[in-house]
Amino acid sequence: MIQRGDERPPIGRVVATETLPASPHQFHFWTATSTSVGIGAIVRVDAPTGRTAYAVVVDGRAYSDLATPLHDVIAAEGDPAGAAPPTQRAEVRLWTAAVLRQVPEEPVQPVPIQDVHLASEADVEMALRMDAYARAEPSRAIPVGVYRAGELRAPVSLDTDFLLGPESAHLNISGVSGLATKTSAVLFFLASIFQHFPPRKGSVAAVCFNVKGPDLGFLDQPAQLSDEDRDVYEVLGLDPRPFDGVRYFAPFKPDGVNLNTLRSHPDLLSAVQPLVWGLREVLDYHEVLLNRDDIDAKADAFLDFLADRVVEKEFRDEWGNTHRVRSFGELERLFRAIFDGLEGQGRSDIWRTHHIATIRKVRNRLLNISTRCRGLVTDDGSASDLPFGAFEDRGVYVIDVAGMDQLGQDLVFTRIVSKLREHLERRDLGVDHVIVFVDELNKYAPGDGPDSYVRKMLLDISERGRYLGLVLFAAQQFRSQVHRRVVGNAGTMVFGRMDMDELATPGYQVLSPATRIKLATLPKGELMVRHPHFTQPVFVRFPHPPVLTGPEGLDRFPPSADVPFDEAVVRQLASLDRSIVATRIKDLIADRSEDDVRRALLVTRRVKPDDVTAYFAATLGPAVRRERLPDPARATPALRAVEDPYAP
Amino acid sequence: MQSPFASGVPIEGDHITAKSVGEPVALADGVAFLDGIQRFAVEGHLGVTPIVRGYVAAAVLRRQREQLSAVSHETEEFVVAPLARLQPDQRRMLDTIPLPLYDCSNGERAHPLVDVQLAAVSVEHRRDEIERRLASQYLRDAPDEWLVIDGAIGGVIAETSPPPKVIGVIKSHDTQFLEGNDLTTALTLSAGQRSSVFSRRVGQRGQVYTWYLRLWPWEDHDLLYGLVRIERAAADGVVAEATDVSRWLMAERAPLAAPDERWDRLLYPMRRVEAYLQARAGRWW
Repeated sequence: MIQRGDERPPIGRVVATETLPASPHQFHFWTATSTSVGIGAIVRVDAPTGRTAYAVVVDGRAYSDLATPLHDVIAAEGDPAGAAPPTQRAEVRLWTAAVLRQVPEEPVQPVPIQDVHLASEADVEMALRMDAYARAEPSRAIPVGVYRAGELRAPVSLDTDFLLGPESAHLNISGVSGLATKTSAVLFFLASIFQHFPPRKGSVAAVCFNVKGPDLGFLDQPAQLSDEDRDVYEVLGLDPRPFDGVRYFAPFKPDGVNLNTLRSHPDLLSAVQPLVWGLREVLDYHEVLLNRDDIDAKADAFLDFLADRVVEKEFRDEWGNTHRVRSFGELERLFRAIFDGLEGQGRSDIWRTHHIATIRKVRNRLLNISTRCRGLVTDDGSASDLPFGAFEDRGVYVIDVAGMDQLGQDLVFTRIVSKLREHLERRDLGVDHVIVFVDELNKYAPGDGPDSYVRKMLLDISERGRYLGLVLFAAQQFRSQVHRRVVGNAGTMVFGRMDMDELATPGYQVLSPATRIKLATLPKGELMVRHPHFTQPVFVRFPHPPVLTGPEGLDRFPPSADVPFDEAVVRQLASLDRSIVATRIKDLIADRSEDDVRRALLVTRRVKPDDVTAYFAATLGPAVRRERLPDPARATPALRAVEDPYAP
Repeated sequence: MQSPFASGVPIEGDHITAKSVGEPVALADGVAFLDGIQRFAVEGHLGVTPIVRGYVAAAVLRRQREQLSAVSHETEEFVVAPLARLQPDQRRMLDTIPLPLYDCSNGERAHPLVDVQLAAVSVEHRRDEIERRLASQYLRDAPDEWLVIDGAIGGVIAETSPPPKVIGVIKSHDTQFLEGNDLTTALTLSAGQRSSVFSRRVGQRGQVYTWYLRLWPWEDHDLLYGLVRIERAAADGVVAEATDVSRWLMAERAPLAAPDERWDRLLYPMRRVEAYLQARAGRWW
């Protein structure tokens, strides 16, 4: 049953000539010069036969009965500043509309030459085929904004099955930087998904990578919303509340105790957990960290040997030593033993089929990781990680990598997404769907340049993720610079204000010139949305997200300055229990090695005990008097000169 | 055939002189424009007698805040034939057509070409008739506003005398009212000049005041290029207003009525009235 819109007077009339005909996909209509119709407006045309066409305005022209500009010059006697003519020329506003839908769908016929009406709320629902999922039981609609035309505010929703799978999935958003549109839009979409995701489809969580500044640093803090924004929330049936279950993860700074995040205000620190990995966490993703030009098949084989036979296993070498390698420090001891053993034998360059040059190369590269990623990777094997296996429904897990270098960001991104995929494949993550939000996609999945492990993984998510429940929400400034398979697999495309140069690239030529101009001048808070159910892009307005944006958050919660080691330990423990006594903590850690303190701190933070001070003290253990070894450990001797058989 | 000559008597002085009207001054609101169109076609013959189908229309467009909008519009579709020459059965057949039927009989002898010419004259009379009706109606409804008519005002003032705010703008100069130096002066006016006012007779007793106005330079063109003749009802004060009326008619040169071939004499609002009527004429256009 077609639900017709209201019967307001027509705002235009379809015109069709031999050179400007109406077709099944496009038609033209004129309006009065003073009209509320504009680019992006949705209109309806009814035929007496019962056929109804819904369309979106994609182009507009105005012209008068002036045959040639010369006539205007003659009439003004060559003086543009001359007296205005007493009569204005007849003028036409001629609009081009692209058909969104015709009812009935078959047979496909040209749009009837009839009156044109502005779409009502019911018309918008029909035009965008939202009736199929918004009126389904239960509804699969995820509101993403309001379509506005004059006084009309009509909700526009996406289909869950096409946003989060399994039909299609992924969302890609493009737009120029600096308008805060991309991040704000994604946060609003997440809020909408969390409130409207159908229960029968299971649970959903979000993992957001904060790659620059404080963008995602305050998702648990309510925003100050304008009345207009509140109206939009009401129209969309959304409660403008911040996210409930937000957990932050940030690596340490190189000092190993101050967190590398702008969310360091004391009032907010309790929700921030350190992100610290040891050897085991890193070794599986060595490909991210090691240069492929540098590491060949033989080095790969040795790395596999270490991962399979040595790390976290009891390993006996040929010289009677037993090793249990759980950290970079213990790995270094193994390498030292190998080099010492070979040196002592003095006869061979080969250890267990691996050439010593290969072993040395791998050793240098691996041990360098803990230096390059200091703060994220520790030498001592202690780890603080995301709660894989215990993800919570509607939980938001923000990983703050903004302060890390590219290498560290690549490692964090690769490992976390890989772990998410592994757990989703085993269905033991804790939730059924995970939305991964990545900004600056053109950096991680560029359209050109060398292939990288990160890009391969993003391609894999794009192409297979929807079957697993792993959904990619990605943002970038220039869509044309992102790998086209990553972009092409996004079922939903969102565009904020675009750069004109970007709009000149081939990917945007399907849009009319007027639509491109509108995209280039979109105000903050407006988006163009493409979705599988929408046969043409539609423009929507979305409200300020229900949380503080980065700059707003920094104003309200300015970050704390870095503090000395003992102060930082006290601050972190205080985030668990504000009643701790600082002097007591400082006494406990006085004269203790910083590595021991860090380890105890990590464990305490992970466990979150009731009595923080007691647990920390117990984990730290009794102080052991420092003794001087009679024979200090020898440094690794230099290898005698050997010819590297693998050198090019 | 109508005679190409008629008499004109100078009113503003003893003979016709050229007068500069000065800078154009637009008349903004409170003015309307009336024009009509006519079409006919021979639909068939009863014997050798042509049966003509006619269509006439007229409209008044009023200007308000530089925009023109229709305030009245009338059309008529009808059949014209020399009824006196038709056989009874032929007449009965014509009576079955659901359109008004008008006679254009002129004698008992049939002449297919003359019969069509006579039918055309009937069509023209029908157009004059509805133009007159619309003018009368407008003047009743808005007696304080100007009404500019495309063509002579003789038919209008016959019913609404005295109509002080009716202006006729005549583009064709088939009939000449002046002769000698007066004619030379009138037809060689420079752009922005008007002739002095003279009167011409209308019917047996009436008269109108009239003068020439050159809208565009005629040099390098023919004598009648850009030349219009203005008519107003003969009334007190008309001569004194001739220059003011000429000034605001000069202002009506913009916008240009091009690409109409008569753009040098056709006022743009009149072109709009024509376009309006043609657009509504449907299959007749």
